[in-house]
Amino acid sequence: MMSLPLKFVSHRIEEYALQVTYDPEEDRGHVIYNLSLLQEEDLESAMRIVRDVARAGLMVSDRVRLLVAGEKIGGFMIPAGQAGVCTICSLTLDGLLLRKGIPTRSIGGGILEIEDWEPRRFIHLIQYEHTTIDPLQVLASQDLTSILEVMQMGNGTILANVREVHMEAEHAASQILDLLVELGFMGVLEMGAPNIPLLGMPVSPHYLGIAMVGGTNPMAAMNEGGIKTTTLAMKGVIPVEELPHLEEC
Amino acid sequence: MIHGESERKILEILRILKESKEPMGAKRLSELMADRGYVLTDRAVQYYLSYLDRRGFTRKIGNVGRVLTPRGVAEMERALVEERVGFIISELERLAYRSTFDPSSATGDVAYNLTIASETEGEAVAAAFEEAIKAGYGFFSGYRQLDRDPRVPRGYTGFITVCSITMDGVLQRRGVPVRVAYGGRISVQDGEAGTFLDLIDYRGTTIDPLQLFISAGLTSVGSAISEGKGIALANVRKIPVQAEEETRGTIGLMQECGFSFPVAMGVELFNLPSDPYRLSVVAFSGMNCVARAVERGLTVRTEIGAGTIPFSKIAGSNESR
Repeated sequence: MMSLPLKFVSHRIEEYALQVTYDPEEDRGHVIYNLSLLQEEDLESAMRIVRDVARAGLMVSDRVRLLVAGEKIGGFMIPAGQAGVCTICSLTLDGLLLRKGIPTRSIGGGILEIEDWEPRRFIHLIQYEHTTIDPLQVLASQDLTSILEVMQMGNGTILANVREVHMEAEHAASQILDLLVELGFMGVLEMGAPNIPLLGMPVSPHYLGIAMVGGTNPMAAMNEGGIKTTTLAMKGVIPVEELPHLEEC
Repeated sequence: MIHGESERKILEILRILKESKEPMGAKRLSELMADRGYVLTDRAVQYYLSYLDRRGFTRKIGNVGRVLTPRGVAEMERALVEERVGFIISELERLAYRSTFDPSSATGDVAYNLTIASETEGEAVAAAFEEAIKAGYGFFSGYRQLDRDPRVPRGYTGFITVCSITMDGVLQRRGVPVRVAYGGRISVQDGEAGTFLDLIDYRGTTIDPLQLFISAGLTSVGSAISEGKGIALANVRKIPVQAEEETRGTIGLMQECGFSFPVAMGVELFNLPSDPYRLSVVAFSGMNCVARAVERGLTVRTEIGAGTIPFSKIAGSNESR
């Protein structure tokens, strides 16, 4: 019995990146999303957590959508009795940098330690070229995060990922990142200097690292708060307008 | 703040202290550091130790030496992420060297995983383990329960299953170069292994892949057992194609001793990434026992590759054959 070999995440990231059409200058186009399911009755408390996570700046962007049973997103219908939370996936950043002529090498996703409100170092990492499952999907349910504590006290652990770009692109990349922050993309944690490890992660020669919070932090925070969520493995792209800004929810 | 090479040395000191059952003096520590390639002067060792004391990672026990504090353990598990990618496998490889099992005489030591559960759930965990092993989802046909072990706290009970790294020990002793490649989830259809659903390369993670799958609720060993349709955990190893005959012979001997692998072996196997020059050897993991226990809602904690034990001690007890 033979079927096509499994695809590793590094490969899938490139495929997603090619589908991202989001243009920060026009604030339009397609972005990559994460979708998680939860029980219908948990929706209200889930919404409260999403707001708190956003306030703490631990989301990729303030765009988020809560879906009730029967609603559709990216061709997927929320099953009866359940609800959905849809957020922008942090890999969107790789896609839009690529569209601006800056290919990224996505290193991996992991657990980032926060000390006194500042990112300190990665303490766990799964490298994208070595996994077929999204690291931030599996890590959201491992009891390894303490997002609720980070939000209250500024100490704890969150989900984050890291990619590297060539130092030739330093200026262009930082301009795009600045623009993104203005558009509600709050999730950029840190941009490193060429050849210098970023948050404990070494970079390739002549490359610099860019760390971003994971799109699944709200889901991990819900798990911490006792709301059981299931992050769906499938991802895809949707028009950014389908994800309203939090204040519009 | 200490950086770079010093940080590596500190991490190694923490690891050495973690492995030691007794407080360790600076002299012994410096010897063990030298064994691991870090030659330090006495002054340097003292410097690092006082730094570790100040940070609360170590504690002095009178004049006897130092022990690791819970904070020190946490630091060891957090420091130098890049260095810890791939550390899981280096640790397991140590056990491959220490498992001296000889399948032709069924003697020697095998490597094991240690699972700890509360006494109240002990019976249910034993039932879950038996269920998985009986249905053929284990790596070995038995397990052993142990209570009197310093690693098992009062009110808890321990379970030992054979760790599949034992196979690597046996093969490398026979001159077969074997490499543990992936931990994965494999779908089971009509009681047969179907295709892999996910793979994580041991060399690209700081957390054991199989433990990740279990805690993320991504297994269904129970329905694989009861309905012949579900998701089980398997490991993939790679060996050179030229070693096929030797490997098959060795596996045959191990099967006679009660080992239950491989699920399959071949160059192009299931939906694994293919390499024309290497054979993939797929084996169910003893962690399917743990997965089954977790699926039943039981609370367990497992240390993969917790040590080695004489084969006779595990072959004789709780057999499900």
